[in-house]
Amino acid sequence: MKDIFRKRRMWRAPTRLKDSYDAVVIGGGSHGLATAYYLAEHHGMTDVCVLEKSYIGSGASGRNTTIIRSNYRTPEGARFYKRSVELYEQLSQELDFNLMFSQIGHLTLAHSDRAMITMAERAEVNQLFGIESRLIYPDDVKDLCPEIDVSSDVTWPILGALYHEPGGIIRHDAVVWAYARAADRLGAEIHQNTEVTGIGVSNGRVTGVQTNRGSIECDTVVNCTAGWSTTLADMVSVDLPIWTSILQAFVTEPVKPFLDVVIVSSQMHVYLSQTDRGEFLIGAEVEPYSTYSNRGTLPFLESSARHVLELFPQLSGCKVLRQWTGICDMSPDYSPIMGMTEVEGFLVDCGWGTYGFKAAPIVGVTLAELVATRKTPDLIEPFKLERFYADRPVSELAAAAVSH
Amino acid sequence: MTFQVPCPNCGPRPVEEFTTTGEVRERPVESPSRRDLSHYIYFRRNARGVQTEWWYHRFGCELWFLADRDTHDNRVLETRLPTSSRGEW
Amino acid sequence: MVSRLRAREDERIDRGRPVTFTFDGTAVRGFEGDTFGSAMYAEGRRVFSRSFKYHRPRGLVCCAGQCANCMATVDGRPNVRLCVEPIREGADVNGQNVLGSVDRDFLSAVDRFAGPFTPPGFYYKTFIRPRRLWPLYEKLLRNAAGLGKLNPEATREGRFEKEHRSVDVLVVGGGSEGLQAAIEAAQAGSSVALVDDGPEPGGALLLTESGDEPARALANKAREVGVELLCPARAVGVYEGNLVPIEYDNVLIRMRATEIVVAAGVVEQPLVFPGNDLVGVMLPGAASRLVRFWSIKPGERAVVITADDSGARAVETLKAAGVRVAATVDLRATMPETIVASGKKGRVTGVSIDGDSVRCDLVVASGSPQPAHALLSHAGARVDYDAGRGVFVPVEVPDGIRAVGGAAGDVGQPGLPRPSFGGSGSKAKEFVCICEDQTTKDLRYAHAEGYDSIELSKRYTTVTMGPCQGRLCHLNSVRLYAETSGTDESLIGTTTARPPWSPVSLEVLAGRPHEPARRTSMHDRHKKLGATMMWTGEWRRPYAYGDPAAEVRGVHEAVGIIDVSTLGKILVSGRDAATFLERIYPNRFGDMASGRIRYGVLTSDAGRITDDGTIARLADDTFYVTTTSTGAGAVVEWFEWWNAIWGYELDVVNVTGSLAAINVAGPDARALMERLVDIPVDADSFRYLDARQGHVAGVPSLLLRIGFVGELGYEIHFPSVQGEFLLDALVTEGADFGAVPFGLESQRVLRLEKAHILVGQDTDSESNLLEASMPWILKLDKGDFVGRWSAEQVKARGLETRLVGFRLKTDDLPVEGGQIVGDGQPVGRITSVRRSEAADAIIGLAWVPADKAVEGASFEARVDGELIPAEVTLEPFYDPDGERLRS
Repeated sequence: MKDIFRKRRMWRAPTRLKDSYDAVVIGGGSHGLATAYYLAEHHGMTDVCVLEKSYIGSGASGRNTTIIRSNYRTPEGARFYKRSVELYEQLSQELDFNLMFSQIGHLTLAHSDRAMITMAERAEVNQLFGIESRLIYPDDVKDLCPEIDVSSDVTWPILGALYHEPGGIIRHDAVVWAYARAADRLGAEIHQNTEVTGIGVSNGRVTGVQTNRGSIECDTVVNCTAGWSTTLADMVSVDLPIWTSILQAFVTEPVKPFLDVVIVSSQMHVYLSQTDRGEFLIGAEVEPYSTYSNRGTLPFLESSARHVLELFPQLSGCKVLRQWTGICDMSPDYSPIMGMTEVEGFLVDCGWGTYGFKAAPIVGVTLAELVATRKTPDLIEPFKLERFYADRPVSELAAAAVSH
Repeated sequence: MTFQVPCPNCGPRPVEEFTTTGEVRERPVESPSRRDLSHYIYFRRNARGVQTEWWYHRFGCELWFLADRDTHDNRVLETRLPTSSRGEW
Repeated sequence: MVSRLRAREDERIDRGRPVTFTFDGTAVRGFEGDTFGSAMYAEGRRVFSRSFKYHRPRGLVCCAGQCANCMATVDGRPNVRLCVEPIREGADVNGQNVLGSVDRDFLSAVDRFAGPFTPPGFYYKTFIRPRRLWPLYEKLLRNAAGLGKLNPEATREGRFEKEHRSVDVLVVGGGSEGLQAAIEAAQAGSSVALVDDGPEPGGALLLTESGDEPARALANKAREVGVELLCPARAVGVYEGNLVPIEYDNVLIRMRATEIVVAAGVVEQPLVFPGNDLVGVMLPGAASRLVRFWSIKPGERAVVITADDSGARAVETLKAAGVRVAATVDLRATMPETIVASGKKGRVTGVSIDGDSVRCDLVVASGSPQPAHALLSHAGARVDYDAGRGVFVPVEVPDGIRAVGGAAGDVGQPGLPRPSFGGSGSKAKEFVCICEDQTTKDLRYAHAEGYDSIELSKRYTTVTMGPCQGRLCHLNSVRLYAETSGTDESLIGTTTARPPWSPVSLEVLAGRPHEPARRTSMHDRHKKLGATMMWTGEWRRPYAYGDPAAEVRGVHEAVGIIDVSTLGKILVSGRDAATFLERIYPNRFGDMASGRIRYGVLTSDAGRITDDGTIARLADDTFYVTTTSTGAGAVVEWFEWWNAIWGYELDVVNVTGSLAAINVAGPDARALMERLVDIPVDADSFRYLDARQGHVAGVPSLLLRIGFVGELGYEIHFPSVQGEFLLDALVTEGADFGAVPFGLESQRVLRLEKAHILVGQDTDSESNLLEASMPWILKLDKGDFVGRWSAEQVKARGLETRLVGFRLKTDDLPVEGGQIVGDGQPVGRITSVRRSEAADAIIGLAWVPADKAVEGASFEARVDGELIPAEVTLEPFYDPDGERLRS
């Protein structure tokens, strides 16, 4: 409370880059900043810089639909995201910044027999890992969300849902700012408007980074650039199984509280929640072609509107205020790709597709451990890049039928 | 996705009429190593710029064709019919 | 107090047609042609809403539907902008976001007391501990936020349509430049449409004292040369491919234009000074609209402060309306140090300019007019700050789009207002963002905290994120930031303009509420037979006609009839057809004789199962391929794609819709067929896996002797139009045998009894043939085929998991999706499970660790938290040797 009367800079604005750092994190989003923070907090590594080509949180961290959940299909995913949610639960206190994490519950609707099987499967896997997640039926859905249309005379009647109680929404920008502040206060440098133009490699090892503001020597580079991962990996000739596409979202004009649970419908490719500001935040699916173009589309608005009104006809007159896109790094199995590559010192953190933001804390913890100890933590062992050369995908595809 | 794709048969049509399987990849000939096979199956060039892709006019003439598209702004620069390469069989 | 002026010829209202509605329960009388806002203003209402955060009284500011100041709830629909919403008889209009009324809002205490406690982002710094109280605090915050209230009982009303159109030239904005551009384009032979949001085009022309005549003349000229005038209509945005959705009544026109001309004019910008949000402070356009459109006297005594000619125009209009102009400041001539408005009960009573006070009830104020560049930005134009004129102007406009007039940056040489006129020492709030209640103090505070670019500031303070989407605050916030940081505006950056340009409702975007569904030609018969329908992919299919168990018995004991028209049906014909199929399927077809059938599974090059079906060779060069119900389209595309690469001589024709199919299965199937078919169907003439052509009840048909349900069966493929006829014939003739129509549920049981997989249910995106226990499909002794190398790799690495049958040792039928558990970890899963009377057990299919894939092995499945013991069965559960099938 006392802080509100005190104007204090959140993070410094260093005017120049040093000649060398122990580690360079590329990408000032939630992943990069969390990594810098945990490097300092857990491992005492403070000679670290985060390079951000625009402003912090300008990429996917500030463009996602702020949903946090851990009800993944694969054991590897469930275990990993469970830890992430646990970290998120304590994060406001740890970073002394209210991230406005509201565990209002998360409902993934099933409109077909097949979807019900997938939900049952996820519930079982989740429960095995101690994640609160269960199959519920239309009456329960109605109890949790009295506003939703559960009647059978709609196009896609609701047959049930996967109910994930700890799921919810968070203030995404606050996560970025809080990690930035915490990393900065421990000594890490955050350089905004700093674009990486090249990465030096010699004898298979990273030697430094070139930027639009000068060159840096370092032996460790962590690529936390999500949709741009390929362009960075190209600089060191590391191939990635990534394709880049856009995910879209929009908000409506704000109204008084109406919906206090996150609703996802895979069948209808739509998910929505109501923000603390009162806006409905609505998202859909990645575009089915690769693109780096950040232009939103009309069919996205049209199909999302149609599907939202199937569930909530009350929103008919709600007006779309703003639509936007985010660039996503899609992996073949919808699971992330983390860890070391053939180039020593070049670490990747990509393949997040549409789930990266949910993982920020655990990514920070595990990547920091990897950087500091050069040993891959168990939690991210299954997510190594090498798995694709070994044809061992961690298929999250069933859960990924829709992005949130 | 509201750009237009010039179908070699039908001319410029809204992209909603098409589907794509993405960038053209080189299928290994001869029995490949696991690594080469995996590279072909999973890895992508994912160019930020012009790449050659397979497109199919699903709600139109049902033709598969090749398109050079700039992934930076989604402009389709050129489309053409593939030349067949059935290889030895 | 009624402030209507004397009637004028070109006013928008029809005084002969009064319209009455209520605001907060009190009757308001207006005229046809009024908006709710104008009618209320005419009757003396000045306060229209309360502000978002401080609950300060707010009045009309733009009269152009841009800001949030006149938002109210109309007939239960929140956030309606009264200033542009046409008046409706009997409408029930209510103030929103107030405790009490807009005139007496008990929440306005926030304005007096909470200010110091609620700097930007205060919620990030408070309510952190204890954690368990956050949900409570959050509830308070949430209730305070939001504007209007949704009606929880509201339903979809009205009918909304889509139109797909194209023109050579689309002009957005019907001011003089827009009309001129449209006329020129039409005269040059182009097809032209023009969109304007007013009831008639004219734009700023309509606001001058020369009256409507010049605008009308231009509009008439445009009509004469063939310009299509769409008004009132709104361009929602510019999307890739020059697609512009236009909201026009209840129609969303998806307009594609070869060229888009943006003639959207300018957006008047508020000046930033203490008290600039007081009721009675408005933009010049707002005052002019009140006078010119609705013949309303906006006030008694006005002060006019502007940075361009809009001030002079406003003065002329105000004087003509009998308003006394107490003072005029042209910022091009003089730039005051301070401007401070003071008021009483939220309404302006005077302005002090450099300390000189002037009494007034109306302040008409604006800064440099900002080019309305949003649509250009959507299309990818860059926007740069023009330091000389203090506005953002579009540069590098992409091909296919053009800007004219004000939107292009043609705004003359306005004076450069101070980013804030508060000076030092003023304690009154000066608002940069009226939608979000953000003051200069708030922005400076955020800047000091390190949120030093406009993008960070936007996210932190929420400036530009309100209903006006930065129209009235983006420029001012960037300029204030530049001043605060001592840098220039280009370093502060600009936020990206995103669609929609004009807010558009979900119902308009949604259009008609429908989802495509496919029905077979027998759909109505199924319903008459009492079927309950269900979705399978895009198809509607019978789930059951009654008791599924009875249907299963009927098939096993007599004969069953099922509509399988949803199966994908593809003709592959041509010289290379056999070679092609050999190369795209893992199994062999080249050696298959004409008139024979084989089961086939398609895999991707990664060796993953994608579809299955039967392939019948009808002639040397003709194959008839069936696919799963959901797979037809994908398989056709798959075939065509590979053949685009290979270039074999063949045709692939999708006949899914043109042919219907019925499967007749059961011990009495032959007897039933004998009555209807004109070819021999005895066991020797028509063997298992034979394909024959003949007539069934006179209908030319392709008959396939296959049995996916484990009994003697014939699948009849025939022209779709005969669907009902043939179904009737089979049901009628079948009555003597006790024939039953059966649905998907009983089919599921029957298939499972035979341990036949359902692709997509028993397999997923990772399943391969070997692990799915179908090694016999793979013919590794032929040449290269799609998926071959991956299959070799799987073989080399060894099997890790297997799809097997199982019997559950329980009487309760569990839901599908149970996990197989080993050492507390999920090691497999149940994909199908049903109760089978024939097998007298609960049976199913499951993926188990490869070492469990032995007859009789036991495992535990976790279902709903309980562990259920199960036993592996490698043979089909029913008729394992297939004797019934081959009989």
